[in-house]
Amino acid sequence: MFESRRQHPVAAITKVLEIIRGNFITILLILFVGGGGDSETLINVTWILGTIVVLLVWGILSWLRFSYRIEEDQLVIEQGVLMRQKLYISKDRIQVIDITSGIVQRLFGLVEVQVKTAGSSSKEAKISAVTQEVAKELREKLRKENGKPVAEEEDEEQPTKVYRLGAKDLVIAASTSGRLGVALSIVGTVFSQVDQVVSEEQMVRYLESVIPTTASTTLIVSSIIFILVVSWILSFLGTVITYGNFAVRLKEDELIISHGIFERKQLTIPYNRVQAIQVKEELMRQPLGYVTLKLDSAGYGDEGGKSVTLFPLLPRKKVTEFIESVLPEYAEQSYTLRPPQKSLRRYIFRSVLTSLLIIVPLWLLLPFGYYPMGLVLLAVLLGYMQYKDAAIGANENTMILRYRLLSRNTVILKRYRVQTVSTSANPFQNRRQLADFTVTVASGSEGHQFTVRDLDADQVHQLWQWPSVHTDSRAIPKEETPATLPAF
Amino acid sequence: MRSEPEHRLPETAIKAWRLSGIIWAVVLWFITAILVLLTLQGGGPPWWTDALVGVLALTISILATTVMPSLRWKRWRYQIDEHEVDLRRGIFIIQRTLIPVKRVQHVDTRQGPILRKYGLSSVAITTAATTHEIPALDDETADEVRNQISNFARLAEEDV
Repeated sequence: MFESRRQHPVAAITKVLEIIRGNFITILLILFVGGGGDSETLINVTWILGTIVVLLVWGILSWLRFSYRIEEDQLVIEQGVLMRQKLYISKDRIQVIDITSGIVQRLFGLVEVQVKTAGSSSKEAKISAVTQEVAKELREKLRKENGKPVAEEEDEEQPTKVYRLGAKDLVIAASTSGRLGVALSIVGTVFSQVDQVVSEEQMVRYLESVIPTTASTTLIVSSIIFILVVSWILSFLGTVITYGNFAVRLKEDELIISHGIFERKQLTIPYNRVQAIQVKEELMRQPLGYVTLKLDSAGYGDEGGKSVTLFPLLPRKKVTEFIESVLPEYAEQSYTLRPPQKSLRRYIFRSVLTSLLIIVPLWLLLPFGYYPMGLVLLAVLLGYMQYKDAAIGANENTMILRYRLLSRNTVILKRYRVQTVSTSANPFQNRRQLADFTVTVASGSEGHQFTVRDLDADQVHQLWQWPSVHTDSRAIPKEETPATLPAF
Repeated sequence: MRSEPEHRLPETAIKAWRLSGIIWAVVLWFITAILVLLTLQGGGPPWWTDALVGVLALTISILATTVMPSLRWKRWRYQIDEHEVDLRRGIFIIQRTLIPVKRVQHVDTRQGPILRKYGLSSVAITTAATTHEIPALDDETADEVRNQISNFARLAEEDV
């Protein structure tokens, strides 16, 4: 039994921080744009102090109103300052139990517990500040199968197997991180805002004194390099902070992923909630032979996204071994089907068309003449690679799909996890007897779709019947001479 | 090879879609009229924007009230059995979707004012990942389809 309890009072503070974080952009706008830039500092200070007081009162009220308990195999959370809310989560609907400790929680030795179900109400099932012991107790009580108690404490300390991310791999992961793109846009935005703080005139004068005779092209190139370097450093640090201390612990019926240097995150994922595994080979990592493993689980996704990182960096050679020991059901796979040759031109055409969306504005906006047209060649190459990489394989219960947008992605999923399958074909594909194939699995609060394009229409139609229970239709399509590609 | 799904939507669906096409067209023409008025007053957008919007409104209203509803009806097929829901649809891109019945989380029927006028309802089939809609069925058929799917789903109960 688990009687009704309140959170640790620190929850009031985390609530305030949460509100601030959620409205960060609005707050910035009010502070900087609303301030008008004149010396109205006094008003600003009163405003800020007033807001903080109001937020604190709100935080305390929401702490007072918040209570949680376990009642007849259900987790019951009552909360809400103005709108009262009662949330009931039945034990066997729980997909993931996520224990995080943010910086504030760590100061007080506390953790945050999030309980996720496949539904969309998962966001509210969050207990933001409890002691580690309570969190452990909660997890045990909620994970307990009906009647049968879970293994005792010793199991807690002696997991069957632990995989850690070594320091060297962390550095490799950080320096080839796909976060570069994100960081790039942030630095780019900040850079473009600089002239609002420093006046343009000052800037020009400064630049003239530093680099008196450089042409504007050099200026553009050097600022691009500057932005790149700063972004790279940011993305490097970002990855180290998120994936530092990364470890996957295998237990009897669940796996526990923990990571983070300042903010420790811990996810508990029961094996039978795993919906699909993805092997991602990012553009920068593929030549080095490294991959990232992702996992789709109903009820959980990384911030705003869908899949959970199962392992941030792994040599491609070790993937099979890793999957065999972590999720053996998902091992042994090979491809039996690839797009026919006639679809190559569609792959290249599509890639070139997409690239024109980037190339044309570049060509119009930048003083580089026709140089951006060179990107068309890259697009052709990318299209060819997308064609070469597309492949599908299926046996009785497992399907493997591989496709490339920029990075190459390999997905392994189970027949009994498929939510829907679709085929689609536009008139051009119809004329060539081609079709796209899409599988959807549950992931996060919505689904995750995986598509392989321009396969032979008849074979796609057979594949489409793969999840069907009509035994006569469980024909697994193969090419006449099946290409025996290694899975990875 | 599995054949096409057997059921079509009722033909009144074409009328309902045509009506909603007409409503869209009226809205578009209303916007165009406002733009033209603004231009005439001197403060609005340049005349070529008006022309562009006008041409767009014309094309859309013609398509949405004539070809599209009947083409959409012609393409739409569905079939439901104890194991799966099979849907085929699409005007330009033809899509065929298979939903294993045990994946269905819930089914509901919906009815907006236009559908109500023609005694039609739509059926939404929700899985843990996606929602699919059969856009127009006779009220009785819709109820029947809904009950059928939810019964099959209950029989085949399984976790996510």
